[in-house]
Amino acid sequence: MYGLAMFWEYRVILWHGLLINILVFLLSSGLGLLVGLLACTARLSHRRPLRASAAAYIEIIRSAPELVLLFWIHSVVPVLLSECLGTRLTFSPILSATLALGLVSSGYFAETFRAGIQAVPVGHVEAAHALGMSHPTILRRIVLPQAIRLMLPELMSQNIGLLKTTTLVSVITVPDIMYQVDLIVQQEMQPLPLYTGTAVAFFILILTLTSLVGRVSSHLRDA
Amino acid sequence: MGFWTRTILDNAGPLLQGLYVTLSISLIAFVVAAIVGLSICMIRSYFPRLRPLFAVYIAFCRNTPIFIQLLWVAYAWYELLGWPKDVFTAAWVALALQSSGYLAETFRAGIASVPIGHIEAAHALGIARLTTWRRIVIPQMLLTIAPSLMNQFIVIIKCSTLVSVIAVPDLMFQALRLTAIWGDPVPIMSFVAVVFIAVILALSTLSKHLSDRLHARLQS
Repeated sequence: MYGLAMFWEYRVILWHGLLINILVFLLSSGLGLLVGLLACTARLSHRRPLRASAAAYIEIIRSAPELVLLFWIHSVVPVLLSECLGTRLTFSPILSATLALGLVSSGYFAETFRAGIQAVPVGHVEAAHALGMSHPTILRRIVLPQAIRLMLPELMSQNIGLLKTTTLVSVITVPDIMYQVDLIVQQEMQPLPLYTGTAVAFFILILTLTSLVGRVSSHLRDA
Repeated sequence: MGFWTRTILDNAGPLLQGLYVTLSISLIAFVVAAIVGLSICMIRSYFPRLRPLFAVYIAFCRNTPIFIQLLWVAYAWYELLGWPKDVFTAAWVALALQSSGYLAETFRAGIASVPIGHIEAAHALGIARLTTWRRIVIPQMLLTIAPSLMNQFIVIIKCSTLVSVIAVPDLMFQALRLTAIWGDPVPIMSFVAVVFIAVILALSTLSKHLSDRLHARLQS
């Protein structure tokens, strides 16, 4: 039972680590939603070059493994930017983590937005046109209320996936929970209870969130 | 630009080896995960009592971050069971562990999509249970779940980049090592990123193409 005692002993730094995970999650989710919305708007635009470049961006960013993007943004982008701007730049680990995870999720968010918007029946939009509604009004009163309800379940489960992915950021020295657990493992030389405990803790956390999302989703479907 | 290409060409050997390790780990993990997932599915349908046990297993695989699973398998399992003995085994075991949970659910959905009448007809004709699985359920199921299977393989390739953390010499590991040697991350990291994106983009395009053709075939 020394394993459990260890979690209690190190509770302060573990808690700080978890808070860093949540911070990275919130920042990258915000960035992902914003960029995803822009990419989706461009993807649905009538201008062909805009549409094509948005499609290319979405496909490429969705094909990039998170870890590769993390290292690439953390090590390559500052060097390239420094050369362009003629100054010496570095990214803080949290900034790189936010950019990498935010950009990866923006590709998925964009596709979810698009699926939601395209699932709204064309007839509704045409009917609104026939009634003489303006474009912004159609978007605000007809398309978005229906689309948001359709895309919420998928968006929520993608956000849970993003929260799971934030455990990666310790590889670029963000002091998140895995970083702290690794430090404790090195200190105590007890990988078995520490890694098992962390796995179980995350299991319970994510399972709770998943079942919550499931409940909200079925509620949305019924309504 | 000349400098960049030279850096990459000079290090082509380790990079190719890394790509080989990445692909072989992903393939082994995928095959093992498919076998485990299908077995879980079959056992579950014959032994309803064991269902809660498998439900916990599947939930655990799907709801734990892959990075934690990897470290858990590599360090905690070794202390507990004395296995897996090398990092390569630990890498594919962890990747297979995660995917087996997802694939078990995929297979379940696939089996549910096979009309029950086909299975009843096979029973009525006196076809043995295993033969029914092999000749009637699995072929039809594979047809419907082929796109999801491909997708899971792509997920495994993406996650396989993590095994560099436990010092498996995959493509990512080689990229980090060469970056440390040459002190310049730009050419090698960018090249490796492009390789990964190209491989995954090619696979997902192939998968989309295949699923469109299957869809057309199923509807005709």
